[in-house]
Amino acid sequence: MSAPITAALATCCLCSASAWGAPITFNTALPVQTGGWVLREQAIGLKLADDPTAARRDLRVAGVVSVLGYGVTRDFALFGMLPWFDKRLDRRAGADGVRRRGRGLGDLTVLGRLTAYEHNAPGQTVRVAPFAGIKAPTGRSRVRDRHGVLPPPLQPGSGAWDMLGGVVATWQTLAVQFDGQLSYLAHGKAHGRRAGHVARLDGSVQYRLWPRELSAGVPAFVYGVLEANLVHAARDRAGGRRDPDSGGTTLFLSPGLQYVTKRWIVEAGVQIPVAQRLNGNALGHDYGVTAGFRVNF
Amino acid sequence: MRNVKTTACRFAVATLFALAASAAPAQQAYRIHVDGLACPFCAYGIEKKLAAIEGVERVDTDIASGTVSVTMAKGATLDEAIADQAVRAAGFSLRRFEALEGAGAEAIGGRAR
Repeated sequence: MSAPITAALATCCLCSASAWGAPITFNTALPVQTGGWVLREQAIGLKLADDPTAARRDLRVAGVVSVLGYGVTRDFALFGMLPWFDKRLDRRAGADGVRRRGRGLGDLTVLGRLTAYEHNAPGQTVRVAPFAGIKAPTGRSRVRDRHGVLPPPLQPGSGAWDMLGGVVATWQTLAVQFDGQLSYLAHGKAHGRRAGHVARLDGSVQYRLWPRELSAGVPAFVYGVLEANLVHAARDRAGGRRDPDSGGTTLFLSPGLQYVTKRWIVEAGVQIPVAQRLNGNALGHDYGVTAGFRVNF
Repeated sequence: MRNVKTTACRFAVATLFALAASAAPAQQAYRIHVDGLACPFCAYGIEKKLAAIEGVERVDTDIASGTVSVTMAKGATLDEAIADQAVRAAGFSLRRFEALEGAGAEAIGGRAR
């Protein structure tokens, strides 16, 4: 069960770095002005209830991800991301059901992004930016309920130091924007367990739906967004053994909408798993929803 | 005789006002062509950087043409190197820098020198 949710939460982690008019579910290579700040608040909801077992597990995750970005130099930007999660797992146990729940601040991620290639032309830009970061175990990872210590997927924090890195490319024009990203999240070990590493390939197209014709000045844009996320999570390891019911590959399609002004953006999207190949009895995704805003200052 | 004196006095005052107006420095305006500017959210950074330059009174972006018009306070001028620095700090590239003829905001959209 844990690897799919790890993959889903990795989505939250990486998408949070996209603090511009940009993809909803992952990063972008667009610039942050030197000395400028970007704040992003994103509410997320995930449902994972595709359970092949009789336990009929139903995992719901609600959360808020706060991101603060800062343009250190023209080409280098730093991001800090802090999530808050409310995770709830219902499962059948005999005639009754059991509910377990974990809430709290999650792990802090600090991410640096460097623009390595840039080509600017009238009304368009192409950028390529590698990024790397670290996820610190700031969230509680030994939360208990009346049944004992919660299982790792229900803990707000992982207890482990994780590393992440990748490269993102963006081609933005006045009418349409394309983003692509390749990334890897390597989990550290905590409490005798290591969550499976996550590799992902993302693509996004944002098409200006309105205004059809650009007027003078800086009109607000409405973008229609379509994103695809191919996420592969390796099996978890605990006590030196691989968990056969963890890990797998999921392809998500994520349609969404963005309203973009000079100072702020509001956006919402739905993440739908269109193909899932999960190991053993790993719990599959049903859907994810995202809504949030970003502010430039 | 009295009427002649009054007329002469009015003429002198009007002349003085006209001279003062012509001697006052005009507001200089510039049009900056920016490469890489392709979304409203990106325009904020470039406006903020240009507005922070001393003497800049007004900044107007036209995203369709990729231009930013800068109006200076009376007597102030904008150096191309400083404008280039601001555009670069915002993450974009300066393609062309034009000083516009005429006074202030009225000059924006006016003839380039």
